[in-house]
Amino acid sequence: MKFRSERDTLSDMLATAARAVSGRASSPVLSGVMITCQGDRLTATGTDLDLTIRVESDVVGLSDGCAVIPARLATDVVRSLEPGNVSFEAGDEVVEVSGGRSRFSLRTYPVAEFPAIGIPLDSMAWMGSSFLTGLRQVVRAASTDDSRPILTAVLFTNDHGVVRLVATDSYRLALRDLRDVKAMPVREDILVPARALMELQRITAKDAAEDSGVGVISTPHEIAFKKGHAVITTRILDGKYPDYQRLIPDSYPNSLTVGKENLLAALRRVRLLVRDNTTPVRLSMRAGGVDLSVISHEIGDANETVDGDFSGTEIMIAFNPAYLIDGVDAVDSDEVVIETNDPSRPATVRSSDADDFRYLLMPVRVS
Amino acid sequence: MEPGLSGSESERVMGSIVAGQAEEVSRDIQIGGEGIGPMICHLDMDSFFAAVEELDQPGLAGKPVLVGGVGARGVVASCNYQARRFGVHSAMPMSRAQRLCPEAVVLGPRHDRYRRVSAELMTILRDVTPLVEPVGLDEAFLDLTGSRRRLGLGSPFAVGRWLRQTVVAKLGLGCSVGIGRSKLVAKLASRMAKPRVEAGKVLPGNGVLAVTAAQEPAFLSPLSVRVLPGVGPATAARLEALGIRTLEELASAPEPILRRQLGRATATALIRLAAGRDDRPVRGDRAPRSVGHEETFPCDLYDRTLIEQRLVPMAEAVAAALEADARTARTISIKVRFADFRTITRSRSLHVGVATSREVALTAVALLRGVNLHGGVRLVGVSASGLVSTESGRQLALELWSLPGPPSGREEDALELSKLEAWTGVSAALSAVRAKFGQEAIGLASRL
Repeated sequence: MKFRSERDTLSDMLATAARAVSGRASSPVLSGVMITCQGDRLTATGTDLDLTIRVESDVVGLSDGCAVIPARLATDVVRSLEPGNVSFEAGDEVVEVSGGRSRFSLRTYPVAEFPAIGIPLDSMAWMGSSFLTGLRQVVRAASTDDSRPILTAVLFTNDHGVVRLVATDSYRLALRDLRDVKAMPVREDILVPARALMELQRITAKDAAEDSGVGVISTPHEIAFKKGHAVITTRILDGKYPDYQRLIPDSYPNSLTVGKENLLAALRRVRLLVRDNTTPVRLSMRAGGVDLSVISHEIGDANETVDGDFSGTEIMIAFNPAYLIDGVDAVDSDEVVIETNDPSRPATVRSSDADDFRYLLMPVRVS
Repeated sequence: MEPGLSGSESERVMGSIVAGQAEEVSRDIQIGGEGIGPMICHLDMDSFFAAVEELDQPGLAGKPVLVGGVGARGVVASCNYQARRFGVHSAMPMSRAQRLCPEAVVLGPRHDRYRRVSAELMTILRDVTPLVEPVGLDEAFLDLTGSRRRLGLGSPFAVGRWLRQTVVAKLGLGCSVGIGRSKLVAKLASRMAKPRVEAGKVLPGNGVLAVTAAQEPAFLSPLSVRVLPGVGPATAARLEALGIRTLEELASAPEPILRRQLGRATATALIRLAAGRDDRPVRGDRAPRSVGHEETFPCDLYDRTLIEQRLVPMAEAVAAALEADARTARTISIKVRFADFRTITRSRSLHVGVATSREVALTAVALLRGVNLHGGVRLVGVSASGLVSTESGRQLALELWSLPGPPSGREEDALELSKLEAWTGVSAALSAVRAKFGQEAIGLASRL
């Protein structure tokens, strides 16, 4: 195998594929990225067996072939080269990487040991931009704590013929209905690890210029997402997702409507006094708006008022500021509505003009 | 007995300093008019658990009392001086202690009771100064530098004597008090003020020992290097290889040579300490940094299910302690000691502080799942750290898993926890049989 490529193209590819590679790989070959050159097409694949990321790019192909190269090291090497052309040539058990006046020779792993992974990508369903917006709104609520593996997933479900995404870490729950998605990529509920969806979001962010569709295809055990020249394949989690529907209150007696950016800016200011991520922000909601306060022992306190419309009975309710900011930031409109019941029951953050997104948030009980 | 004070040499050192010198030392302070500089006090209850038991059961007076685990592998957590006459000391295997002292009264520990007495003790001390740093249940450092004038008692020795009398009068329990310019000296002094056993007889200690700046060199010089925090058998052996046994020898040792033997940081720290230069402050505001429970099994456990289910009551105990303290924990750790004494810990930090037994147990069991348990497990423990007061509020959680528990799925935890709980009786029976007839006498069919 031999090819030439722009340094930045190659280092981006390697870095992206390497994100699926575990720092504690179970076998040496899994700490590598497999690169395959076919004609002028270069593919880089990294996997930890649960998550696989494959990226493609055009290069100047000189001869076909493939090699498994150490993921982190090769990425670092390519990134460190002088800008410009990089050439890659695979020999016996080594690859030569050269650029400018530098030349590296890196030991490779046996290609035969690299797992055969990936599912056929024909007949993908294409999801529009609302899917990506939905991911942005929902993935943030998934848990990162592996002691409850199910909560580290985003639930893809079907609610009366509408595709719905749900995530919760048991302190907040985000839910988004994708009304404009016609084809449900799967018939049953499936649990997609949030980690894979975060990678999909990273790739999307880089790939903003290209068309916004995401291809989706699944088998009983895996699901694959194609975005631009990247494909992310992940194992689907087994298990039963909690019955989230019964947690959502039918109605709320109190409702506050405020400008999203005003509220976010105020929250970010008062959050400066939060220590240890444990100090709550208190919201006193009343006619005409809301008073925010953070009281931090031994540090001081912060207070701010945001104007808005309130209906219901005055209420003081406290939240983890990071969770509240996550919820307000996820709303996709200029005004947010915060609906409350009482200071120890879940509140909802949503948009003032659409009801396809809801962010359920448990309060912090304060004395 | 504390390391470094167990040899005959250190006995002699203790003897020479304790016997009759305390009063003299303090007089020196008065004469010297040393009214400035730090005044650190270390108060240590005398055989705390055993003393509480004696207090609660007057019938125990004069008898040797051992408090600790009574199982095959129980160890002595505390013993009174009557028991020490027979050569018993804490941390000794209970079986050996009972052989040495067959007439001893053996009691299981009542930690709740000890915690309550400890809380009373700390309240008494905090009335003296807010700068109280508890060390475990039965010890505390006090920074009395700023309280001297207010106490109006004159010499440090008088302050120590008053403090000791106050504690004895209010709690009915004995204690020893050491006073010095630093934590190190205060702690060593309280140790030397303790009652001790010589030739099978209990000799009352001075109860109070105050060491002045002027007395410090004479006080520290002859002590074994083992009295320093951080000097265990390994470091002591390395020092010994350099011909260094006492603090005096250590303090005057050439630093470059020590650095080569011990590493830069350790060498510098030890030389400073040996010379009495210890500027560790008394941390009056320090909340307990962790709460934990651990259990040594009567015999090694091989079955993962059994080991997991032993974590559940420990998690409950940890959660109860958190609850009692109005704290939540951001980090849950487990400790596993294997049959060959290899010991590992695993921990996980969470975004939100947890306090319920369920959450603690879930995390602990999840951590244990990542540990290879082959070869048998001798001990497991659960602890919670990253403690945060719930004063500022407690994050409520959604009721994701409604009763009667989640329906199915290997991931879901509640079911597994209830399974584990259901094993409690089985496990207790297994342990009892194994303790009596040996490891191989009974086991799970699944292991055949």
